[in-house]
Amino acid sequence: MSALLEIDDLRVTFGGTAAVRGISLTVEKGETHCLVGESGCGKSVTSLAVMGLLAKGGKREAARLSFAGEDIREYDEKRMSRLRGDRMAMIFQEPMTSLNPAYTVGSQMTEVLRRHRGTPRAQAVDRAVELLTRVGITAPGLRLGQFPHQLSGGLRQRVMIAMALMCDPELLIADEPTTALDVTVQAQILRLLAELQKDLGLGILLITHDLGIVARVADRVSVMYAGEVVESAPTAELFRAPRHPYTRGLLSCVPVPGKVKRGDPLGSIPGVVPRIPPGFSGCGFRDRCSFAEAACAGPLPRRDVGPAHEALCILPEGVPA
Amino acid sequence: MSTPAIEVRGLRREFRASQGLFAAPRRVVAVDDVSFSVPAGSVLGVVGESGCGKTTLARMILGLMEPSAGEVLVDGKRLDGMDRRARARLIQPVFQDPFSSLNPRRRVSDIIAMPLVAQSNVTTSEVNRRVAESLERVGLSTEQGTRFPSQLSGGQRQRVAIARALVLRPRIVVCDEPTSALDVSVQAQILNLLAELRRDLGLTYLFISHNLAVVEHVASEVAVMYLGRIVEKRESEALFRDPRHPYTRALLDSVLTPEPGLGVPDVGLGDIMPDPANIPPGCRFHPRCPACFAPCAATTPRITSLEDGLVECHLAG
Repeated sequence: MSALLEIDDLRVTFGGTAAVRGISLTVEKGETHCLVGESGCGKSVTSLAVMGLLAKGGKREAARLSFAGEDIREYDEKRMSRLRGDRMAMIFQEPMTSLNPAYTVGSQMTEVLRRHRGTPRAQAVDRAVELLTRVGITAPGLRLGQFPHQLSGGLRQRVMIAMALMCDPELLIADEPTTALDVTVQAQILRLLAELQKDLGLGILLITHDLGIVARVADRVSVMYAGEVVESAPTAELFRAPRHPYTRGLLSCVPVPGKVKRGDPLGSIPGVVPRIPPGFSGCGFRDRCSFAEAACAGPLPRRDVGPAHEALCILPEGVPA
Repeated sequence: MSTPAIEVRGLRREFRASQGLFAAPRRVVAVDDVSFSVPAGSVLGVVGESGCGKTTLARMILGLMEPSAGEVLVDGKRLDGMDRRARARLIQPVFQDPFSSLNPRRRVSDIIAMPLVAQSNVTTSEVNRRVAESLERVGLSTEQGTRFPSQLSGGQRQRVAIARALVLRPRIVVCDEPTSALDVSVQAQILNLLAELRRDLGLTYLFISHNLAVVEHVASEVAVMYLGRIVEKRESEALFRDPRHPYTRALLDSVLTPEPGLGVPDVGLGDIMPDPANIPPGCRFHPRCPACFAPCAATTPRITSLEDGLVECHLAG
């Protein structure tokens, strides 16, 4: 059986600038695949490219881009929009900007179903109430009549999730879904997503910069840097034995209670995330990497460095453990 | 005993929130009768959810906002009535967003020089010397001093903000979410820089953050705020090892450390959100508290002193 979402050698350019430089990943049914990286690494652009929502001027190319076995590369806007919000749904970081402030929660939620399925209003309202209850909102009837600004951040994100579920999607793409929320609410939302996934068999592509979230919710992780996936592995494997120098550095930057002594300096990666100029080749991390050598400017091998574990690096075994 | 770097007594701040044209405005108490002191050379971390009053507290301590009641003493001197220039020499801020806290139309060295120039008794050559010194301290080159903020990365901009805060050689720096807008690899650089500066210059920090792992790493003492009150204040190590307030425990439980296999914790707070315009009677945390019992809804808990701090909870009394 083929994967739910299959991306092979996806490239996105804006003008001459390469934002995504040939990434490949799959999301299986019932699996959470985390795409982790710092700002500007191309993780959000990847998700937008999959949904066919790239901003004007963005160009997408891929060797393969398939959803539930169907090649969606050649889908026109009409076919894509039929897919989006239906079998393939998305939630964004800031629910305040992705909900329409001028319409009530109810009208925005039912519109999804009425548009995609032609469901009569009354039935759509029933479905909205059912889903709001499902995502842990008390008094769903009241919430349906309210406008987004009348809800707290946590409630708005729950509404977004409920709305994404209106048409029983198979794939959910979540771009930093909890970044704007307090830690307590973040935990609630992530638990909810995990629960929904188990019940509904959703495939989730979760985009985040937070390694804590990755560790707790992902089945598989792809680490992105400068438009490429530099390392990909099952979650436990990646945290146990990070092989790419960037992954290693990133993990050492996060203060872990009990691991780093207070007052001791944290690990840090020198330098800044580079802007990748057109025509750039070789490893995007080489200017910040302590293992860099001349060969890093040439083509890089993608090697197996462990069970289902790949790294894009000239070091044959990756960074020594 | 030496003079505390910051002392706050009975500090309170109210806002009036308009409810529309004809409705009476609501009274929102953002900070409610807060008292504490910060010994010189230490770091007090302040944590809490958004809307708990931590930024309002910081603004009052910086003298950027008048308290509705109570007083702030910085280095033993009352903040109200203090000359603005004298205040600036004592206490300086570093804010969250280095994209909006720096004037985009001025060069980095001019931005850093501004506090000195405002003192108006410093010669140009002295200004240049101190700006150069500040740049070097935070790890920026002279060449970077000639650029505009838009030509720098987020981490470099935050270094500029820190250089500006240090140019007057203050005793105290108030850091309000100094690394929240930065990437993790850059966050670590800035935290390491702040730690180094504190050690070398003997600074005192009030360090506000919603990131508990960061606070644990930098703070010697931690105050946990909930709806305008400090509900627990302990030595950092003790607070993270053995939290006494149920809210502190919930906050600690919700931290997702990068340890695979543990799953997402059930924090047990329910879905009632704290609303500073509608503070519950009794213990203000009781509607969300997993350990709530009879007296919590009826009476306000008293502050209980502990060996290593204080906690405001009926269970601790």
